[in-house]
Amino acid sequence: MFILDLILSLWRSLAGLVWFSNQNFPKSLSVYIRSNDGKKLSVDLDPKWDIKSVKEIVGPKLGLEAEEIKIILAGKELDDSTIIEEIDLGEQSTVYCVPLDHKGKTKQKSVNKILVNLPEEEVITFHVACSHCHGIKHGKLRVRCAECKSGAITVDRDPASWSDVLNPSLISGHCEEQGCAAGPVAWCEFYFRCKEHVSADDIAIPLPLIHANLRSIPCLACNDVRDPVVVFECSDRHTICLECFGRYASIRLRERSFVFSRQYGYTLACPAGCEGSFITEPHHFRILLQTEYELYQRFAAEECVLQGGGVLCPRPGCGAGIFPDDDCNRVACQCGYVFCKRCLEGFHIGECGERDSAAEGGTSGGYSVDPARAAQARWDEASKRTIKVSTKPCPKCRIPTERDGGCMHMLCARCTFEWCWVCQTEWTRDCMGSHWFG
Amino acid sequence: MANIAAQRIKREFKEVIKSEEVAKCAIRLELIGDSFTELRGEIGGPPDTPYEGGLFVLEIKIPETYPFNPPKVRFVTKIWHPNISSVTGAICLDILKDQWAAAMTLRTVLLSLQALMASPEPDDPQDAVVAKQFKENEEMFRLTARYWTSEYAGGPNENQDFQRKVQRLIDMGIESDRACVALSAYNWDLERATEQLFS
Repeated sequence: MFILDLILSLWRSLAGLVWFSNQNFPKSLSVYIRSNDGKKLSVDLDPKWDIKSVKEIVGPKLGLEAEEIKIILAGKELDDSTIIEEIDLGEQSTVYCVPLDHKGKTKQKSVNKILVNLPEEEVITFHVACSHCHGIKHGKLRVRCAECKSGAITVDRDPASWSDVLNPSLISGHCEEQGCAAGPVAWCEFYFRCKEHVSADDIAIPLPLIHANLRSIPCLACNDVRDPVVVFECSDRHTICLECFGRYASIRLRERSFVFSRQYGYTLACPAGCEGSFITEPHHFRILLQTEYELYQRFAAEECVLQGGGVLCPRPGCGAGIFPDDDCNRVACQCGYVFCKRCLEGFHIGECGERDSAAEGGTSGGYSVDPARAAQARWDEASKRTIKVSTKPCPKCRIPTERDGGCMHMLCARCTFEWCWVCQTEWTRDCMGSHWFG
Repeated sequence: MANIAAQRIKREFKEVIKSEEVAKCAIRLELIGDSFTELRGEIGGPPDTPYEGGLFVLEIKIPETYPFNPPKVRFVTKIWHPNISSVTGAICLDILKDQWAAAMTLRTVLLSLQALMASPEPDDPQDAVVAKQFKENEEMFRLTARYWTSEYAGGPNENQDFQRKVQRLIDMGIESDRACVALSAYNWDLERATEQLFS
């Protein structure tokens, strides 16, 4: 009897040791468990555990037996034998735990893997534009009920393509949330989260053009086989590596040669120049540095104003977009500057043209200064003069344009008007014949 | 220079060196310095054209934004062609401007230039004088282009009549290239060329 006790206590301490080592596993994962009646609890899981062990811990906390519950992640019920580290579960993710209503489940591929039709062993990464991290990051696919926004939903059908994921109301599911207005049969709503910061509920925007380079396609620009790549939607499906794509976007931005499309906004086409290859999701340009991205947003807004018949306030540092009345040349910006719609100089009565000296008058007061000295002491005067001397305005949009070499044929970087540097009017065949090179 | 551009040029350089056109001596490419920003191209005048037998040297400059923007290419060898400036060697070819695409390479550029030499497009001229001659007096254009080829690109078929006229102008103190341009522009009418040069 004594020996038996000894063995039993020894076994217990051994078991305790195992338990102890499990609990102190360095890579523990802190995860939220949500039930279908709104209960939420936080548990620390060992990535080496299987789902069965998770159920044994979670079940009693929700007042249920381990056998009576199922665990749902991203629209899929997880199998008992699944090991946590094999699935796409990040720190502070939320998994759903609901009472079992039917028996006889089959092992399911995770939604993330089905979408790209990968073998189960491959680890697939999605790319998303994350507004929190400012840039392109890895993302994870999640699904929720379109009605009650609860993740306690299992999909009826796996998404087979990006269109299944991006368009709502294509795939139905079984919503387990108590009190869901649409349940139990509801539409599934897919969404993405950034994998690289701990997020409670912020959503990331998926970038469907970025692919894992499973086919080892060399980059159009650098010819290296890199991963991941951007695949354009042209008929040739031209492929460029992410690094070259970033350079491409940055170069085109600095040249201000993005294209303004009424349908897709301020965007770029395939660098091979294919028809119909515009990037339709502008968040791909999150590849740009944050400062460049802000510039992209500004250019896009300006382009939108200009294409819509508006003007930009010419006052340095302002640049506000204004849609002036058709029948009036006087535009008053909210910054206080009043200017002429046609020549973008300070507002004047009569024709646009030479009026520099007339506008020099000012308020009297202070003490009298030699006008010649005052003229020299103006802060912006030097740069104003440089701009005046070294540039000519585009005959159409009036933007000061500098010519730093090449021929006399100018292509306005802002309004794409083709003009002649010599004649300062539209570029013609006569210009080509008589003074193409000056 | 940005890494991508240099890396691309390295590869394209190898592509040209190994190409069958090089084997046939139709095109050549060599690096200037070791920065991969400047190259020297050579194209042979295509057969059955006034440029046949000549060797034309090109200056190729690679911008930092390559391959998203085209290389800057210019004829160093003087050439009489409607789409190439007879004075500066500037080229009017859509793929070197707005029709450039990142998938194109130095090899395709050299081959396109060879094709341009074989089939000029006088309706999109870089050199209005040459284009006018090409449209109005094609035989005169061919003779002139052939003369330029033998004079500047080492081609055969010396035209002694034209040479004599150039020499006459040189004797009057005109620099030889200017004499050649003036005579070519006036269909080798010595009197009118002289008049223009001295007016």
